[in-house]
Amino acid sequence: MRARLKPPAPEQFTSRLRSPAVAARVGLWLGVSFGLCFVTGLISHYAQLPSHPVPFPTSPSWGYQVTQGLHVTSGVAAVPLLLVKLWSVLPKLFESLPVRDARRLLIAVLERGSIGVLVAASIFQLATGALNAAQWYPWLTFSFRTAHYALAWIAIGALLVHVAVKLPITRDLLSGDIDATTHDRVTATVPGALSRRALVRTTAAAAGVAVLATAGGTVPWLRRVSVFATRTGEGPGGVPINKSAQAAGVEESATAPDWRLEVVVGGVLAASFSYDDLRAMPPHTVDLPIACVEGWSAQGTWSGVRVADVLRTADAPTDREVVVVSLQQAGAFRRSTLPASFAADERTLLALDLAGEPLALDHGFPCRVIAPNRPGVLQTKWVSRLEVSA
Amino acid sequence: MRTRLLVGACGASLALYGAALLLTRQAPAQWVEVALWLGAGVVAHDVVLSALVVAACFAGSRLLPVPWRAPALVALVVWGTLTVVAVPVLSRAGARADNPTLLDRPYLTTWCAISVIVVLLVAVTGFVRSRRSRAGE
Repeated sequence: MRARLKPPAPEQFTSRLRSPAVAARVGLWLGVSFGLCFVTGLISHYAQLPSHPVPFPTSPSWGYQVTQGLHVTSGVAAVPLLLVKLWSVLPKLFESLPVRDARRLLIAVLERGSIGVLVAASIFQLATGALNAAQWYPWLTFSFRTAHYALAWIAIGALLVHVAVKLPITRDLLSGDIDATTHDRVTATVPGALSRRALVRTTAAAAGVAVLATAGGTVPWLRRVSVFATRTGEGPGGVPINKSAQAAGVEESATAPDWRLEVVVGGVLAASFSYDDLRAMPPHTVDLPIACVEGWSAQGTWSGVRVADVLRTADAPTDREVVVVSLQQAGAFRRSTLPASFAADERTLLALDLAGEPLALDHGFPCRVIAPNRPGVLQTKWVSRLEVSA
Repeated sequence: MRTRLLVGACGASLALYGAALLLTRQAPAQWVEVALWLGAGVVAHDVVLSALVVAACFAGSRLLPVPWRAPALVALVVWGTLTVVAVPVLSRAGARADNPTLLDRPYLTTWCAISVIVVLLVAVTGFVRSRRSRAGE
């Protein structure tokens, strides 16, 4: 019985579809989607830094919505590309190592090692990204943010190594006919159920269908076809909720009648505002998206007071960064930093209303930050304090 | 050759930077779990999923008449992709009683409906192709 469970030999894979010609074409698009994922992911991590050596732009207000939507969408599109790519090269997994020749063995081990790293990191990235979008965290110790970020560098690095190793053969394959047999394994001679071209097109179609089935979380007109999106887009005021007041542990403090918004300048309390004080200030209305790092977004009509107006009323400087503190007692995002250009932007509000109704408790009542071109996790809810340096 | 060396060296540096991030920004217990997840992903694909696909293709090549194979393979790729992509929402593991705006679609019903439609499409296409190929003989 044991003997029958041994792995197959590469020669046993006889389909003409498992070919370098297919791998190169699908791999090219996989590379493009990984590149897009990497760049948009870097933008997202940069946007979330507390301070930016190169200022993060406040316009266009939908910038982050687009980059993060692209991030998640290109990740979804990469799923069938990765699966078919790996399927097309599976026989290589079972190739034996050239154990006789030390130099060739070393090269083979290095190349296989780099591919092992690439495959492991790619699967890790797509799997953890998809799990994070559905807020499912089956791991116990590591932080999604830290691990997903570090593995992104490893994946893109291993991908570049792979491109460097395969460049001549890839060039040859992509410039030649897809049905050419020059680079085929000698046993890959049995015609498949589809032509190679049809398999590549089917893979592209699968990527398209997967994108349509999920992208409605960020593209409103796709909502009805995106049957596997993590959200319908419904919620109080037409905006979904990421973290509820109950989960944040602020139900009592956010509804307490003695709630006040404090403005602290250089560690000293400069002014404090009751809810009615804020209501008495000149109201402003903006149309801005909430764009979550998990890839969903929703447009809202927010009304409230400008952060800059609040600072001015408190005689606080308006030309520097502002630390926004929430009523939340724990969590990485209980504090966020509004860079100076964001704090001064006239679209940056402490919102009191959404869609003409007072903010729902789960949306951050009594008031929340809403600023243009900013990741959702930094649009701090249940604000209790603004801190400015003196 | 110079381009390849440059690209390769770039790639190796980026990957090393990533490895340094993994080591310096995480505690040893986290290294271990990340390594376990990396390994588990490879096993899930290279052993479990690959074997399932090999078995499905083998069964298809034995059981299905020739005109049925192309639609069946197309269906396998598209349906398989959708199923893999839908695993996190189908499990509903991230659902929370305090947040009705998350995972608020009938995922399982939809997936079952899609699966039935896919089978029907394959059946209809296979049937039509069979008739045509017989008529062409």
